[in-house]
Amino acid sequence: MAALASQLPLASSGNFLVKPGVGLMVWTLIVFGVTMIILWRLAFPRITEALDRRQKTIEDSIDTAERTREEAQKLLAEYRQRLAEARAQSDEIVQRARHTAEAHEREAKDQARVIATEASARAARDIETATARALDELRREVADLTILATEKVTKKVLDDADQRRLVEEALGELDFSGISSGGAQD
Amino acid sequence: MSTGQAAPAASAGPQRASAGRSKLGTRQKVLIGLAIWVGGTIALIAIAGFHGHRNTAFEPQNEFKLESWIPLGILSINKAVMYLVIAATLTSATMIYIARRMQQRPNRVQTAVEVVYRLMRENIAGGNMDEKMAAKWFPFIGALFLFILFSNLIGYIPLPTNTEHELTIGGLHIPSFSLYAATANLSVPLVLALVVFISYNVEGIRAKGLFGYLKGLVPAGVHGPMAGAIFVLELVSNFMRLLSLSIRLFANILAGHLLILFMAGALAVLLGAAWLGWVTLPLGIAMFTFEVGLVAALQAFIFATLTAIYLGGAVADHH
Repeated sequence: MAALASQLPLASSGNFLVKPGVGLMVWTLIVFGVTMIILWRLAFPRITEALDRRQKTIEDSIDTAERTREEAQKLLAEYRQRLAEARAQSDEIVQRARHTAEAHEREAKDQARVIATEASARAARDIETATARALDELRREVADLTILATEKVTKKVLDDADQRRLVEEALGELDFSGISSGGAQD
Repeated sequence: MSTGQAAPAASAGPQRASAGRSKLGTRQKVLIGLAIWVGGTIALIAIAGFHGHRNTAFEPQNEFKLESWIPLGILSINKAVMYLVIAATLTSATMIYIARRMQQRPNRVQTAVEVVYRLMRENIAGGNMDEKMAAKWFPFIGALFLFILFSNLIGYIPLPTNTEHELTIGGLHIPSFSLYAATANLSVPLVLALVVFISYNVEGIRAKGLFGYLKGLVPAGVHGPMAGAIFVLELVSNFMRLLSLSIRLFANILAGHLLILFMAGALAVLLGAAWLGWVTLPLGIAMFTFEVGLVAALQAFIFATLTAIYLGGAVADHH
């Protein structure tokens, strides 16, 4: 390889490689200048505008997303608060209903007790009245039987004074206390 | 050529093997490629011999020689002018086409262009200058970057531009296909560097005044005789920028093209050793890929970035 390399024509006639040419320099200036103007006027503004627009869209999207998130959080908080309020209200309603029901129950029991007491009293009164009436009838029956028995025994008709005396004596001997008070109590 | 075909096949090995088209693994493909490469070399040495006859008529540097195609005196049209015009046309057409088709939801091509555009606007211009300066000089820096990039890239497409070696097909004389880049000619980078040099100096003088600008060349805190020496050094280095900027681009592209040229067969033609062409071909392909994939864009990036740095530095408060 070294032997082959030694045969290479090293820079024998390559001076033109490092020698600037004025013509090409002028052409470069013209061509580059035109390219720059074209890019500057026709390409770069559109690309910049599109990139800036997209960046703005992205920023807007981020802002919108942020706002939406905040709104959602606010709504969530509001719903939670409402839910808590509703729960409290429902508890209150249940409590109130329980109180009302208990009050109604108590009232109903009291009323029933009053009605029962009244009915009992009325029944006692009716019994007493009936007992008194029965006693009166019994007295009349006993008086009549006493007079009739006496007349049959004596074979004479008793006058009013005797009849009154006989009745009072007969009635006086009879004890109705058991019927009047004990019968009413039984 | 089989070695050239083996390399891409080897890189896509696992996928193809899994698809059932090939049962060979990457390692086996590489080994087969190497075997073909070595075997081909041995076969060529056996057929044509190790030592060849030096071709004195072939001068590889002439690939870069500019022959006047249309004589217009000093402004004669030659190969380099044609490459410049092609580069300018492609740059303008591509950018206008993309600019007109900018979509709110970009496709892959637009995304790639947007990445390049943002690189130019935000990194090259915006990263080295203040906002006002970046907005003012972005069209210049962007145009420089794209123009150099396109000039470099089309330099790797073989075009029928070699009028020294013509092909005769059916009585028609057609220039042979060859690689050439306008930026591989010193004149092109030099004039671009000259525009940059004038631009940043004018901008600096406009911002600080002539005296202020020259005074600004000396770093703050340096006084006395040392300031004078540093002023001279800075002034010289300022002019050296003109050379470094242009020669960096020119030399990189020229060296790349020469290497591709030699590796792809020129060395074998020059030394008359057929086996050498076979040996250097894979290196030529590797060099070509490296130049297209990295150097073309990197040199454009460096040129544009240095322009932005020089412009930003010229108007900066402190040196």
